[in-house]
Amino acid sequence: MGILRILGIESSCDETAASVVEDGVNILSSVVSSQVNVHHPYGGVVPELASRKHIEMIVPVVSESLFTAGIDGAQVDAVAVAQGPGLVGALLVGFCFAKAYAFASDIPWIGVDHLKGHINSVFLESPSPEFPFIALLASGGHTAIYHVTSHLHAECMGRTRDDAAGEAFDKVAKMLGLGYPGGMVISQLAEKGEPRAIKFPRPFLDKKEFDFSFSGLKSAVNRYIQTHSETYQDQIADIAAAFQASVVDVLVYKALRAAMEKKCRHVALVGGVAANQRLRDQMRESAKREGIKVFTPSIELCGDNAAMIAAAGYYYLKDPGRLADGFDADVYSRAKK
Amino acid sequence: MQDPLKITTHSPDRTRFIGEVIGRAIDTNTVIALTGDLGAGKTVFVQGLARGLEVPADYYITSPTYTLINEYPGRIRLFHVDLYRITSQTELFDIGFDDICDGNGVMVVEWADRLEPGDLSEDISIAINTIDNTTREFCIFFYGRKKTKLLQHLKDILTHQ
Repeated sequence: MGILRILGIESSCDETAASVVEDGVNILSSVVSSQVNVHHPYGGVVPELASRKHIEMIVPVVSESLFTAGIDGAQVDAVAVAQGPGLVGALLVGFCFAKAYAFASDIPWIGVDHLKGHINSVFLESPSPEFPFIALLASGGHTAIYHVTSHLHAECMGRTRDDAAGEAFDKVAKMLGLGYPGGMVISQLAEKGEPRAIKFPRPFLDKKEFDFSFSGLKSAVNRYIQTHSETYQDQIADIAAAFQASVVDVLVYKALRAAMEKKCRHVALVGGVAANQRLRDQMRESAKREGIKVFTPSIELCGDNAAMIAAAGYYYLKDPGRLADGFDADVYSRAKK
Repeated sequence: MQDPLKITTHSPDRTRFIGEVIGRAIDTNTVIALTGDLGAGKTVFVQGLARGLEVPADYYITSPTYTLINEYPGRIRLFHVDLYRITSQTELFDIGFDDICDGNGVMVVEWADRLEPGDLSEDISIAINTIDNTTREFCIFFYGRKKTKLLQHLKDILTHQ
């Protein structure tokens, strides 16, 4: 069999994305609606909150991905699409489009778990981790630790009980009057601040468990702002740095503890929060002391994208036992246990 | 308008308990509007509500801020909606809000004050006011005739302990 060229489609939350990837590794194109100035027939700006807006975006984004890849529709061998978890109304747009595309082109299609997509994002670049490894997935909507034994098998060791890490960043940014979304702004400000200037709690929960809880930390920052309402404006950089240090300490501690418990030498850091430079640096430094190697995707592959869906789809397609490709298949809103 | 039922809590556990009592007492097709500042305890309240609706304990009630709508199985299906990121009526339509409004279940809506009055036609509205670090004041309004019984029931449980 020659090269398997997969069209990946992602529409589980805000982003409409399409990508063409060869054999799960070679990215020919990766188009994300909010990052690219797509010319779509209705004109106007791309809305930040795109869900049924995905309907307007899906055709231009797919066309753009084929154009950038330098291929036409007939050169696509299979379609991979995010099936869940996510917002059902948003998922359905990509999902129905993918099924119809595959049916019309008479090629196979495959539904891909969005979270498995993130985990497989580390295989789009080299070097990539060896199985089994620990994956820390941290984004706006998810925060979880997985023991990954193959491209398709990942055991969830722990997850957030309330807010996701990325959401905590966004909400703290909002409290500081930095707007929404503000994850990036917090990390930029934090560089100018002193993380030890303020002591925020490290929400480890039970140190033996792998679940997370960031809601209390968010409230602690809020309390600090309330009790220092006269002066906190002068401390915004310190607040950002101290808050970021708390989140990063907890994420790093739990991911490395999971690696040691499962005796894994490799850790992958994936999801939108994996773009945070302090998290990347601290994870690498702390892991090094334990003899553990850390793998992170490029920044553009951390946030939601379709290349990771195409990559995961490649491994799904090579494992026909798991193929869920009936045209009566449906999307799902929450993470599969 | 009737006077609200006012309850003061001094811990997240107590906030969760109020949610649980309400969750046990309500029936399907109930819409609850929830307002309160960041960190007021809205998600904690919904965790209790879920317990009262018998959502299995292995489902964590996580914040829907990013995911917009979280759905849980239980005695009655629970839809946990967060309008924090919603800025217009169009966006509300875009996320499929109308679809779940018509369905059977309990819908609890955080940041409901982002909607125009009347858009939600809620049965219960709950405002959580932050008094100090640990103290919260709940102002609970009930609407509609069948709610009078519910109000009395909650008053009995929550105020006589």
